[in-house]
Amino acid sequence: MRFAGRQVLSIADFTRDEIVHVLTVASQVEQRGRGALFSGKLMATLFFEPSTRTRLSFEAAMLHQGGQVMGFSDAASTSTKKGESLADTIRMVEQYVDVIVMRHPRDGAARLAAEVSRVPVINGGDGANQHPSQTFLDLYTIAKLFPALLTGDRQLTVAFAGDLKYGRTVHSLVSALCHFKVKILLTAPAGLELPQQYLDECAAAGLPVEIASGLPEAIAASDVLYMTRLQEERFPDPVEFDHIKASYRVNAAMLRSAKPELRILHPLPRINEIATDVDFTPHAHYFPQAGNGIPVRQALVGLVLGVL
Amino acid sequence: MTEPITTSASRVRQVEAIANGTVIDHIPPAMTLKVAALLTGTEDQVFIGANLRSSRMGRKGVVKISNREISPHEASCLALIAPTATVCIIRDFSVVTKQPVPVPERFDDVARCANPNCVTNHERWPTRFVVVRGPSEARSAAPIEVPLRVRCVYCERGFAAGELALLDR
Ligand SMILES: [Zn+2]
Repeated sequence: MRFAGRQVLSIADFTRDEIVHVLTVASQVEQRGRGALFSGKLMATLFFEPSTRTRLSFEAAMLHQGGQVMGFSDAASTSTKKGESLADTIRMVEQYVDVIVMRHPRDGAARLAAEVSRVPVINGGDGANQHPSQTFLDLYTIAKLFPALLTGDRQLTVAFAGDLKYGRTVHSLVSALCHFKVKILLTAPAGLELPQQYLDECAAAGLPVEIASGLPEAIAASDVLYMTRLQEERFPDPVEFDHIKASYRVNAAMLRSAKPELRILHPLPRINEIATDVDFTPHAHYFPQAGNGIPVRQALVGLVLGVL
Repeated sequence: MTEPITTSASRVRQVEAIANGTVIDHIPPAMTLKVAALLTGTEDQVFIGANLRSSRMGRKGVVKISNREISPHEASCLALIAPTATVCIIRDFSVVTKQPVPVPERFDDVARCANPNCVTNHERWPTRFVVVRGPSEARSAAPIEVPLRVRCVYCERGFAAGELALLDR
């Protein structure tokens, strides 16, 4: 398994063994705490569209280990505005740094960048396509809560609720879970169901997939409930949107029927789909999930830099 | 050299016999003019037969081009828009070879990505599609799906090959 110099573009590029290795290294890095692993290393954070959350997480991951960062946080401040091609921007930046983290509004931009770059490119989100470090941190969070994910001691039930059609994080996580023999439970408003392609992937991997009658059934039956945001622009009728929004909102009272070990995850930012009273229940796990982004991104950076 | 197969030669001569050149037969009817457009970029004589009767596929298209064999680039394009077609090489009014269109593993800079948000539609960068094989991709032993499906290596979207527009050369 060789990671040094490797590009991190899509979760689909990684085998089960490679995914498990990243999670194992992340766990070691987390136990070790802050240090100087990335001392003398410079990361470029090229954010052609703003994503404060992802950028801060990568920057903190680097800084906590003595590395340095430079970059920009939206395209308005770059030469792209002057018509420079993406390939030329990458060819320039790669002269300065050891690793590039890139976020871009176009699907496939990270792979294009990786083709011209001699230093590793980590995809921090390319349009509607991929955001692999998010998928790694979602898997890390589940594995940390439920070691059975990796050992296979028992079959976990992972429920997905909300917009399953357009949710990039859901698609990548479902694909990645195909390596781990979990049971998948789905609940989505009509028209926002999980695309057939991902159901086919589950079937090919032998994963049982069930459609829940609604959020209450998903809450009662699952170990992990992965919530997503419903976006108003997907609903032409505002009245219908209000109605659906209400039925895909979890609150503390609904969690009385949950298993004690149920944990709720969310890629953040949440809007209304998780009531704030859930934050004070033991089921809330979306903020620790975001925190797991640090060791996971450190593991990815360290592995591609060849220092881990 | 292969023995001339005169009987099949007379069968493909539904449009206009050519003495020497290439016949592209069994083109899906909707793709006939696309195939013709692909091959008419040069000075060569091209004959087009649209909506011909075919025992194998009901209706079909036939395109004939005089005095030359198709280029590797044209063959690649052909595989994308008409993967079920057959290519016959004609010499002295006889069919010397008759083969299905060779379908390559990947298509480099042949077609535009149909995803409007794909990076290849916004940067000057060659497109690349790989052929999707069976339900479990990446296994070269799995059969090619018919109708042919391809995946853009950049945006990772899958498409029916026929829905892609060819790039101008
Ligand atoms: Zn594309």
